[in-house]
Amino acid sequence: MRTTIDSMIDVNSLTKTYPDSNLGDFLAVDRVSFRVGPGEIFGLLGANGAGKTTVLRILSTVLAPTSGEAFIAGYNVSTHPEEVRRQIGFVSNNTAVYDRMTAAEMVEHFGLLHGMSKIEVRRRCDELFEQLRMEDFRNVLGAKLSTGMQQKVSIARALVHDPPVLIFDEATLGLDVLVARNLLGIIRDLKGAGKCLIFSTHIMSEVERLCDRIAIMHRGRILDLGTLGELRKRHNESDFEELFFSLLSRHEQNQGAETRNTVPLESQSSSGSSAERDADEGGTA
Amino acid sequence: MEPDFDNLKSTDRLVSRRRSRWSAIRHIYFREMRDQIRDRRTLFTIAILPILLYPLLGSVMLQVAQFSREHPASICVIGRDHLGDVTPLFDGDHFADGLAEDEGAVELIHYDWGMIRSGEDAQSKATQWIDDGRFDLVLLVPPEFLDFSARKSQDEAKVRMFFDVTSDQSRVARDRAFVILNRWRNRWVRDDLVQTGLDESILNPFQLDEIDVAQQQSKAAAFWSKLLPFIMLVWAMTGAFYPAIDLVAGEKERGTLETLLCSPASRSEIVWGKLGAVATASMATAILNSGSMLITSSFIFSKISLGAGAAVGAPPILPMLWLLVALVPLSLLFSAVALAAAALARSSKEGQYYLMPLMMITLPLVLIPMLPGTELSAGTSLIPVTGMFLLVRSLVEGQFLFAALHVPMVLGVTSLCLWLAMNWARRQFEDEAVLFGSHEQFDLRKWVRRAWDGREKHASVPLAYFCGAMILVSLFFAKLSGGVMPTDANSFAVLLLKPQVFFILLPPFALALVFTRSFRDALRLRSVSWQHLALGLGLGIAFHPSYTLLGHLVSTLYPLSEQAIEAMKPVVDQINHLPWVTVLILIAVVPAFCEEIAFRGFIFGGLAPKQGHWRAVIATALLFGASHGVLQQSICATVMGVLLGWVAYRTGSVFPGILLHFANNAMTVSIQRFYSQSWRGADWFIESTADGVSYRPWWSVASVLIVMILIWLFQRLSVCGDESDLSPDDVAGERIERGIEEEYETPVNPAPTSTSG
Repeated sequence: MRTTIDSMIDVNSLTKTYPDSNLGDFLAVDRVSFRVGPGEIFGLLGANGAGKTTVLRILSTVLAPTSGEAFIAGYNVSTHPEEVRRQIGFVSNNTAVYDRMTAAEMVEHFGLLHGMSKIEVRRRCDELFEQLRMEDFRNVLGAKLSTGMQQKVSIARALVHDPPVLIFDEATLGLDVLVARNLLGIIRDLKGAGKCLIFSTHIMSEVERLCDRIAIMHRGRILDLGTLGELRKRHNESDFEELFFSLLSRHEQNQGAETRNTVPLESQSSSGSSAERDADEGGTA
Repeated sequence: MEPDFDNLKSTDRLVSRRRSRWSAIRHIYFREMRDQIRDRRTLFTIAILPILLYPLLGSVMLQVAQFSREHPASICVIGRDHLGDVTPLFDGDHFADGLAEDEGAVELIHYDWGMIRSGEDAQSKATQWIDDGRFDLVLLVPPEFLDFSARKSQDEAKVRMFFDVTSDQSRVARDRAFVILNRWRNRWVRDDLVQTGLDESILNPFQLDEIDVAQQQSKAAAFWSKLLPFIMLVWAMTGAFYPAIDLVAGEKERGTLETLLCSPASRSEIVWGKLGAVATASMATAILNSGSMLITSSFIFSKISLGAGAAVGAPPILPMLWLLVALVPLSLLFSAVALAAAALARSSKEGQYYLMPLMMITLPLVLIPMLPGTELSAGTSLIPVTGMFLLVRSLVEGQFLFAALHVPMVLGVTSLCLWLAMNWARRQFEDEAVLFGSHEQFDLRKWVRRAWDGREKHASVPLAYFCGAMILVSLFFAKLSGGVMPTDANSFAVLLLKPQVFFILLPPFALALVFTRSFRDALRLRSVSWQHLALGLGLGIAFHPSYTLLGHLVSTLYPLSEQAIEAMKPVVDQINHLPWVTVLILIAVVPAFCEEIAFRGFIFGGLAPKQGHWRAVIATALLFGASHGVLQQSICATVMGVLLGWVAYRTGSVFPGILLHFANNAMTVSIQRFYSQSWRGADWFIESTADGVSYRPWWSVASVLIVMILIWLFQRLSVCGDESDLSPDDVAGERIERGIEEEYETPVNPAPTSTSG
């Protein structure tokens, strides 16, 4: 395994299965591999249930991979989880802010957990609150903040230790257009500061505008990976949304042909229905 | 990864980890504490409520007490005019001097007989007055009382006291009137004696003086040392539950748990920080509640003195500080258990579902010490929580030497429980399934279909536990519905056989038929070599002296109650009267067969492949022990269950275990007969003592050696059966097994000659 500085995130045939009491094991992530370098924004695009969140949760060491490896800044997520967590800032719509803590206390608490000294944390907090324009609600309790404010606090919390790698999982979910636009601006600034960013979403326009390279995920697999230009060229399709859906439906057809030959009846029927559901959700997005 | 790079990173990691450990725990602890303090509801239940509750309750109690003391008993006397010129009972409007203890406590009303005799019966009038609550007590002196001779013998001349036992006031009046009338009678007797010229001292042939050597303080301590630890522990439990739910299930619900999990704090740091916060809340609740109660009650008791002879007094404050010694470990224990259980829940509401049963299970451990007659002893000190409770009680009562004697045992048991609970909590936080439990809907039809399709050769783990639970529950109900002890041999046999066949053998049989693919494998009915069978039988006979000794030890530690011995007597009598062969079948053959197939067959067979052998052995032994209704039997049976489970594992079959079990039970019912029928050679091994027939000491010692040799021989024989279908990364217990296997398997060529002895 080569670990050079030009790949901050290195994911190698990552696989994750969940035990399911009804259906047996559920394959959430299936042999996923990719690399992200510093100063790069990497987008994971996929419908709900494609396995994006699971991949990012494994990268943030909250879940353990069933097989395969992932390295962040050279540390293996399975063997050195504490070190990995020092290298990352993780923002997801599952990482809420504490209700009974003010914005400043929240950010300071996580700075202290990162082993920063009190003075260091204060200085960094002032910096971040100014940068993200959140001085107005500095001393407001988490429960009283709006969704956009809470998301800003989460970002400040993730940035407090100035990590080289940032992971945003559906970070714009539930934000209004203005706040979402603001957030994308922040992400672009972070890229300018040389951070390595990985960004998951089901909104195509965000990916088109923001990401250097894109991986299209569907049912636990990466269907294709490359820059926007590369993908367009490869599939001979200039409209990105069309590209996405043709890729998905082509995969479904192949998969269907495969399963008809090998997989027993029960799993086939259930996978068929979930594919329909996924496609529906992708359409509305 | 290049090796030097890896090394660099790992040393780096160790240094930083050591540095952050304490500070991370501290940060998490203080954050959680601040969070709890900012929650008004928590603050109210933990701090404000107890501080206000007890003084409020106390003031209400004080008022009620004063009210009842100041309320005099109202006594009505009808027919005072019938008393005549005997020793005076009354003096004007009061009782005669010296008769009533406290003049103010009695309110006296007189009615002349004539005043009510206007057409109605005095007795019904008296009854009516008591019913109305007009008087607490009515004293009726009938006209016949005037007649000197009738007074002593005739029923009509009796002085009658009317009262209502359901009314507290009336009962108090009765007690007071009783005292007064007794004194009056004594005075009357004395007067009569003096009149007839006798010495009144013959009424008091001797003098009695009661001297209570207990000091007032330790007497008060005896009461409070029972009540206060109970109050404190119940509050310690309650105080741990709500913060535990809030800190784990609540955080999951609010979505902040994942935020914490992706911070650099390790899982164990998170657990320690949270555990500290929960334990602090638990201790604060316990201390504030018991402290507030202590102070309030000592204030109350200083206000109302109950007299020198009262069993309850003001609580001694200083000795109660010993309670803090018990509070720290027990709070930690409750907190760890609550934290681990709360981790299973996905929301606060769900958390309450999990914690209520937990409280129900723990409460008996706190209640046992409250039972009358429960004292600190070698036996009780081994019970978790109860032992600590009793130890502290004797410390409060000032029995330091006695307490010191039991400290090692109590400390050992408590630390073991604490270690287990903390491990459980830590494991919960490392388990993704617990932390990110899926929100899927449970679909019964799919589940049944999958259970059917996925049937294995042996039972699944839940099925094995289900079978154990089914046996225990049906045995419990069978025992409850058990009728009278039959007297004839046939129905006695039915009484013994019915639970064995229907409640122990039938469940595994039915479950094995329906839910497994191989009846023979599920019940482990596998053939084994004759060496294994011989070893099983030999081990049963050789282990019996040790087993008997264990039985004696257990019954000394936890003596059987008189009732239990009385209840078992008819069974023993019946057994003694039946022919030997019948007894062997009833007590040895059938139970050995049924119990082994159920426990070492179906249940062990289901647990061992998935849970590792040692866990399977222990779990089976505990279930086996629990299936024996009497506690003393259960303890012995659990020990026997470990040996049987180990044999089942080594041989892969139930048959050697059946022989072992048979031999043991057969010896129990037979040694008496061996002796009384003077079998040849029997008196070499057994002798008659005061307690009955027992083994000779030399044989007891020798049999232990033989047991060791037999166990050694068992290990020399290779492990048989299906134990190979284990996944390689199984639990630790199984790794130990691997070690044993390797040690004994590799160098050995199991020669039949070496195992026949």
